[in-house]
Amino acid sequence: MNGGSDRQAYDRGVSVFSPDGRLYQVEYAREAVRNGTAVVGVCGSNGVVLAADARTRSPLLADGSVEKLHDVDGRLGAATAGHVADGRRLVEFARRRAQTERLRYDEPIDVASLSTAVADHVQEATQAGGTRPFGAGLLVAGTTSDGPGLFEVDPSGSPSEWHATAIGGGATTARERLEDGYDRGIDVLAARDLALSALAETVDDGFAPADVSVAVLDGDGYRSLDDGERASALDEAGVRRAS
Amino acid sequence: MVERTTRRLADRTNFDVQRTEGEEDAGVLKTGTTTVAVAADDAVVVAADQRASLGGRFTANKDVQKVLPVHPTAALAMSGSVGPVQDLARTLKAEAGLYAARRGEDLSMAALASVAGNLVRGIPAQLLLGGVDDAGAHVYELDGGGSVLPSEYAAAGSGMQVAYGVLEGEADAVADVSDARDLALRAIRSASERDTASGNGAHVATVTSDGVEVASRTVAELAGANRGSVSAGRGDER
Repeated sequence: MNGGSDRQAYDRGVSVFSPDGRLYQVEYAREAVRNGTAVVGVCGSNGVVLAADARTRSPLLADGSVEKLHDVDGRLGAATAGHVADGRRLVEFARRRAQTERLRYDEPIDVASLSTAVADHVQEATQAGGTRPFGAGLLVAGTTSDGPGLFEVDPSGSPSEWHATAIGGGATTARERLEDGYDRGIDVLAARDLALSALAETVDDGFAPADVSVAVLDGDGYRSLDDGERASALDEAGVRRAS
Repeated sequence: MVERTTRRLADRTNFDVQRTEGEEDAGVLKTGTTTVAVAADDAVVVAADQRASLGGRFTANKDVQKVLPVHPTAALAMSGSVGPVQDLARTLKAEAGLYAARRGEDLSMAALASVAGNLVRGIPAQLLLGGVDDAGAHVYELDGGGSVLPSEYAAAGSGMQVAYGVLEGEADAVADVSDARDLALRAIRSASERDTASGNGAHVATVTSDGVEVASRTVAELAGANRGSVSAGRGDER
């Protein structure tokens, strides 16, 4: 067999390794995440900020119909990039898992436990027959008794903890901006500004308030910013699109 | 898939409980039992007698340990049908171990009580859970309906009314862990005198933030005990 047909064979099943130890379907799923618009998460000393590029593809689409940020249990939140439908399933899983924790332990779940639970669920789709990997990446964030926390879950099912990161289209550029601008001591307002300026690296000419979703997750829980708050946040970050 | 997911989510150990009630269960070992738990400031004492009986009329076993460590800093006292309750204690211990392994910290007492409450639902049993965590010393009463009630002190089992007679007015005045231990053992002793399904000595677990120590007392040690001296027993710690 030539190389091309070899590769086809390893493509066919998600649970089949290539001779060099790769799982092509998982790598394609990561590509699906890159095809989505970017989401950014930044930890501040007193809270975490999630920001998402939520531009609509048509002015006819109703506001708020691009769902990138999700309230999980009132305290924790998740940002999704990639296949919308797959992302929704993962968010639903996270919501159920968060409530299950309350039923079992009578305590709210923390960011690390929720992220590893979602990651374990994602991993199963890379090893079980008759399924495909999730074509969505997740940022899980929130502020608990352990302080602010931010985790990424990728389509392979590996969880990783970050001070600040981005996933989705242009994530590499956005992460470079975060690496340049991030400082461990920043508060939640500075985190918000940094998140928006990193997100702006993924587009050409900044954002109108309706183009982004922003959520602040602090000691009071999950709160998404309204239109006015997003406008002033974009102004303060210096990335509001001149209209 | 959703259902499979949900089941995996819950990840619970399932109990298939054979409910036995009334006269039909004359052949099932029941503990009858008197159990007591008393909280001091930074410690909890959990005690129980050592008798297992058939229908409260025949002493089937004279050396049953009904107080068990189920967590690095918690002990469970059980009364009710022996088999399901032993199973529950093992499962609870496994849940506590899994939680610690997965998260790198021990279950809080509220969380442990919540897990125990889920496990005991449907089992003919009354449980007392005593433990210590960052928030201090805790006592919980649980029963087969799944109720989970925090308390400062509690008694359960067929001898509970006699035991409460000893505890009332005294438990509030407990100053330290040795006070708590004396009071708990006096409650077991009095119940053992009058409740036909309780007796044959006692086990007492002392729970502090350092861990759980279980000791036993013979009938003679209990009987010779006056206030302040019950805790000077055989003390074979397990």
